Amino acid sequence: MRRRLTTIPGGLSNAPGAIVAVVTLLLLSGIGIIIQNEAAYRDFQVQETRVQAEILAANVTAALDFGDAQAAQEAVDAIRVNRQVRAVGIYDLGGALVAGYGRDGTDPPRQLTQLQPSRQAVLTARVPVQSSGERIGSVLLVSDAEPVSRRLNRYMVMGLLVVMAALVIIVLGIGQNALRRANRKLEERANTLVATNAELKVQITERTRAEDQLRQSQKLQALGQLTGGIAHDFNNLLTVIQGSADMLRRPGLDEAKRIRFADAVVQASSRAAALTGQLLAFARRQPLQPEVIDVNALIQGMTDLLDRTLGERIAIATDLTAGRCAVEADRAQLESALLNIAVNARDAMPDGGTLTIGTALREEGADGNMVAIFVTDSGFGMDAETLGRAIEPFFTTKSMGKGTGLGLSQVYGFATQSGGDVRISSTPGVGTTVTLLLPFSGDALDHRDEARVGRLQPRRTGRILLAEDNEEVGEFAQTLLSELGHEVRWARTGEEALELAAREPFDAVFSDVVMPGMSGLELAEVLAAQQPQLPVILTTGYSDEIAETGTGGRPVILKPYRLETLSSALDQALRDRQERS
Amino acid sequence: MTARVILLLLLLLLGVAAPAVAQPTEDAVKAAFIPKFARYVQWPAQVHPGPREPVQLCVIGEDQFGNLIDRAAASEQVDGRTVAVRRLADAAGSEACHLAFVRGGNAQETRQMLFAMRGQPVLTITDSRAGATRGMIHFTVAGGRVRFFIDQAEAQAHGLSISSRLLALALGVRQRRT
Repeated sequence: MRRRLTTIPGGLSNAPGAIVAVVTLLLLSGIGIIIQNEAAYRDFQVQETRVQAEILAANVTAALDFGDAQAAQEAVDAIRVNRQVRAVGIYDLGGALVAGYGRDGTDPPRQLTQLQPSRQAVLTARVPVQSSGERIGSVLLVSDAEPVSRRLNRYMVMGLLVVMAALVIIVLGIGQNALRRANRKLEERANTLVATNAELKVQITERTRAEDQLRQSQKLQALGQLTGGIAHDFNNLLTVIQGSADMLRRPGLDEAKRIRFADAVVQASSRAAALTGQLLAFARRQPLQPEVIDVNALIQGMTDLLDRTLGERIAIATDLTAGRCAVEADRAQLESALLNIAVNARDAMPDGGTLTIGTALREEGADGNMVAIFVTDSGFGMDAETLGRAIEPFFTTKSMGKGTGLGLSQVYGFATQSGGDVRISSTPGVGTTVTLLLPFSGDALDHRDEARVGRLQPRRTGRILLAEDNEEVGEFAQTLLSELGHEVRWARTGEEALELAAREPFDAVFSDVVMPGMSGLELAEVLAAQQPQLPVILTTGYSDEIAETGTGGRPVILKPYRLETLSSALDQALRDRQERS
Repeated sequence: MTARVILLLLLLLLGVAAPAVAQPTEDAVKAAFIPKFARYVQWPAQVHPGPREPVQLCVIGEDQFGNLIDRAAASEQVDGRTVAVRRLADAAGSEACHLAFVRGGNAQETRQMLFAMRGQPVLTITDSRAGATRGMIHFTVAGGRVRFFIDQAEAQAHGLSISSRLLALALGVRQRRT
């Protein structure tokens, strides 16, 4: 293609020269033909004049022979019809004029010897008159050459044709030239296009690479934000736990304060557990555990925690409705959502301000009554763009390590999953209100609450086989179980647990799932075959194995577990075993 | 002085003699014409003179030209042939002639001679001065000039063809009836 494009103009590069040459040749040949034609025509005219003279000579032979001037004159007069003949003369042998005539002032000379050399425009023919091979006189015939104007007329047509042909060639040449130029331009454009295309391809490759890198860095950034956020959240909780523990170690602490600090530790720990649960929920690993919650009570219970979390500069006010405010939701998730909103509010008020938490009952369309929990701050607010992206996962206005960008995402996910919604309104410079809408629940309140932890009811006790590979957790679990009144045997591996179970009788097995070697699930399977009556309770922080295959109907206690949870699960297991046997 | 007188006399003499020379006699013109006719006549092939043979010109009966015709014939050449003049007393032997000027003692005699030559391919020439009897060519004088009539019908009847150039000079042409 490109080769062809380059060869065509190359062959035509001397086109103008060729055109000039052809046109010149054409004009020259035209002129040549005209000249040749002119000469031929003149010859023809000379010939014609001569032939006419010869015919006249033949006609006047007898007249001259017999000296009949009148007859000769008659023959001469016949020539008058030809307007081109200017003069005719018949001369006898002696050269004397016998007969003749002249036109336009041209007269035949009286004597043939007086004949003057003719002008250019005149053709003169002199032929002898012969009779029986004998010369008896002469005929002189003077003829006009064809007038120039008539000759010009004759050649005008030819000239016109030649000029036209030249014009056609010139026009064709110009056209060819233009075509060649256009072709060259086209080629240049094609070349540019090829170059541009190549450049574009390079750019695309670079762009793809850059995008890959960006995606990778974004992933890393997101991961950083996530870990930063988690650290931040955990640090908050750890501050409470550590602070409370420090206070508890002080000697001479009165009973009321001791209980308050202990409660704070318990609450913060449970929130930390909820946070990991949140992460798992985000990873879609944990189902919600809905229960009926009195929102007002929950908020009141959280004010202490919030007070400490938000710092001294921020005053907390509540505006709770007097009516019953029950919702069915996951308690930990709701607490987490409120905490998330509160932390955002604190960050929006670096110079302090007021955080108002309120509740209200609202009629919301077809969904029936909704409980609205609104959290209002007096911070700097958000502009429209930020507001639009606020719920977006990992979108944060906070600096690195300060937030996960997951806070409002969690709030939104939780609210929608619970059949509710989230509304955010904000005015820059005035503040932000986040309204959490949850469906109102008419069900009776579940009176399980934190207070029950302390009021332990009498439980069944027995010999428990504990399987746990982690030293600290194992030690903690052993203490906990002993405290609950059980007799505990601790095995570090599944295999060891099996040996113990074969040697000694047990009432129940409490086993970790993730262990090196034999897993908790495998252990449970083997024990189920050997001692079908022996109940097995599994525990795990997180297990792929359980997420994939399930537990085979065995109860699972998720880490971190509460004393109450462990106690009731064991109680249930022991009761079932007793009932079965 | 005497030379002048002699010159004058000579001039006078010349002046008297000049018209006689410039204006040839009627017979001299006719004598000059007769051999020329041979140029414009085509004879039948069997009697046409051969390439080297002379054209036979006969003067039959009365000779009115004398040596005028001999001189004219001598100066004439017809396609390279000479013209020979023969004088005959009557029509006897006229079959060898190509042209014949016929003149009897009177019109009657001329008519008899022409009659005797009937059927012979000979161009007969007569003169109006000798009577109204006409040969194929008949001389007359019109407007002071020697002219002639042509009887083309008679000539053709005898196998002779006369050139149209000559016919064009004739005072009158008798055409063959068709």
